[in-house]
Amino acid sequence: MSPLLDVRDLRVEFATRHGTVTALDGVSLRLEPGETLGVVGESGCGKSITALAIMGLIPMPPGRIAGGSIRLDGEELIGAPERRLRQLRGRDIGMIFQEPMTSLNPVFRVGDQIAEAILLHQDVSRDEARRRALDLLRTVGVPDPGQRIDAYPHELSGGLRQRVMIAIAISCQPRLLIADEPTTALDVTVQAQIFDLIRDIQDRLGVAVILITHDMGAIAEMADRVAVMYAGRVVEEGPADAILDSPAHPYTRGLIGCIPAIDPALAALDRLPPLAEIPGVVPPLHLLGQGCAFADRCIEAVDICRKVAPPLTGRGHAVACHLHAAAAASEES
Amino acid sequence: MDTVVYVARRLFYGLMLMFFVVVLNFVLIRLAPGDPAEVIAGEMGGTTQEILADIRATYGLDKPVATQLAIYLGQVAHGDLGKSFFFDQPVARLIGTRIGATILLVLTAQFLSILIGVVMGVFAARKPNGVVSALVAVFSTLGYALPVFWTGIMLIIVFASWLPIFPVEGMRSARLEGGGFVHVLDVLHHLVLPAVTLAIIFLAQYARLARTSMIEVLGADYIRTARAKGVPERRVVFHHALRNAVLPILTVAGLQFGNLISGALLVETVFNWPGMGTLAFDSILRRDYPTVMGILIIGAAMVVVANILTDLGYRLADPRIRTEGGRR
Repeated sequence: MSPLLDVRDLRVEFATRHGTVTALDGVSLRLEPGETLGVVGESGCGKSITALAIMGLIPMPPGRIAGGSIRLDGEELIGAPERRLRQLRGRDIGMIFQEPMTSLNPVFRVGDQIAEAILLHQDVSRDEARRRALDLLRTVGVPDPGQRIDAYPHELSGGLRQRVMIAIAISCQPRLLIADEPTTALDVTVQAQIFDLIRDIQDRLGVAVILITHDMGAIAEMADRVAVMYAGRVVEEGPADAILDSPAHPYTRGLIGCIPAIDPALAALDRLPPLAEIPGVVPPLHLLGQGCAFADRCIEAVDICRKVAPPLTGRGHAVACHLHAAAAASEES
Repeated sequence: MDTVVYVARRLFYGLMLMFFVVVLNFVLIRLAPGDPAEVIAGEMGGTTQEILADIRATYGLDKPVATQLAIYLGQVAHGDLGKSFFFDQPVARLIGTRIGATILLVLTAQFLSILIGVVMGVFAARKPNGVVSALVAVFSTLGYALPVFWTGIMLIIVFASWLPIFPVEGMRSARLEGGGFVHVLDVLHHLVLPAVTLAIIFLAQYARLARTSMIEVLGADYIRTARAKGVPERRVVFHHALRNAVLPILTVAGLQFGNLISGALLVETVFNWPGMGTLAFDSILRRDYPTVMGILIIGAAMVVVANILTDLGYRLADPRIRTEGGRR
């Protein structure tokens, strides 16, 4: 079976005051129809840039796609004419953003914003588009949709606005849904509801999902496969179970180590262990050296880590780490 | 319902404001040097103390200022703006013959400056570092810096004298045959130069404001959402972005209305446009207090009304203002 989405060796550069920086440095991702791929990493690791690149929405300039390929169902998107990309956006690829509070246009009614997406891509009447918008509001679980269809965004709560965003994203029954930190700005209880909704939609429409998040808990619940990104590269990629159970890259281990495991007995005594953290921060992209970008924060780093960037190796569960490669080699011999 | 209460409240504040305007203007004008009785007498040719006293009695100038003020306030409340010293006619009637010309000039200039300013701003915003953007910045600063009488005279020299495309002055041609439509065209023809002169001063601010506002809006999350839906770029700019970017322009347009009216005074004088401005200018020179005051009151009323209309327009354009207590 050919993959729905095949991103290969994608390189994206940005012109900045510090010269050209490489925001994505050879990112490869594959996604089968109906599958959920979790993309995790800290802020600034290139998760959102990857999503925007797939949508063809990298602002150029200052951005530039320096190489690689993005294929949707075999069709190359890089260099495709804007007309074609516009057709695909909203129709074949839907996207949900991080900030439901500001992602809807404040001066238009939400029903019209949903209907607009339908009218852009489907040959239907205004009345029909409105009827479908109403159905969509019902589908995404907006209570009292007959009233809410004429509401303005500011009249809805954050959770409802995100539901409206989801309604827009799925309005044309896309094959791919990109959710860029869809719950970061929401209350915890609402977060769970939104994840449930996305899963429910996935079951119903058979849409493939790219879930961008830094929430490992969400990954554990939602993702079939996981790609861990760090400083513009994929450092570990594989089935979600494998990565969560036996993370191979020190960075992934750090991320998983950051999920607090709360022992009720200790919590009762108010003696919870301090929260784990990965020391340091993601290095600014213009200061990246030759070696592994994580080397400076890695407690296990050895000489070669600072000199040569490790390639992503391994089938199924792939890792970009010298230490892991060495361990795997000694196991095999 | 909400809007009715809102308008009623605004009208009430507007009336209060008008009261203070009347009082302040009255006091200020009486404090200014010059005796209107002497001016009137001068116009009549020659004077004696008896004639002066007679004039003072006729126009109520012999009473204490406070009494004069009370009488005047009572008159104004009844819609009576007094009698012109110079024309010996009711001020209201005088203004009535002039107000249409001023409103035509002011609204045309306002419309032109907003329309052209916004178009310039939008094009500048699409490439904030481009040539168009730089040209808009230079042109708009220039337009703002040039004194209006100079611009007006230059436009007359170029477009009425060198290239006699437009009339030099006035609002109507002296001799004109034909039906009503010919007259409309004639007025429009006369309107071009004064309206453009007045618009140029305000154009600058609208262009800059539109540029800034548009750049900000184009970076907003909802614009990214529109693009992600597959909305064509033209529609992104002129439907999704512009509708949001005009909101601050509306606010400024309302605030500028007062300046626009005082600008009209100068422009009307330069072009001999038969509006309230030329009347005000002449009346000041003639110390025709009632007329000057009447014009100030009507001018203030126009600003108050314009501000209420602006706020209503704002409520129409921004649903967040409409729902009282709504979240932003």
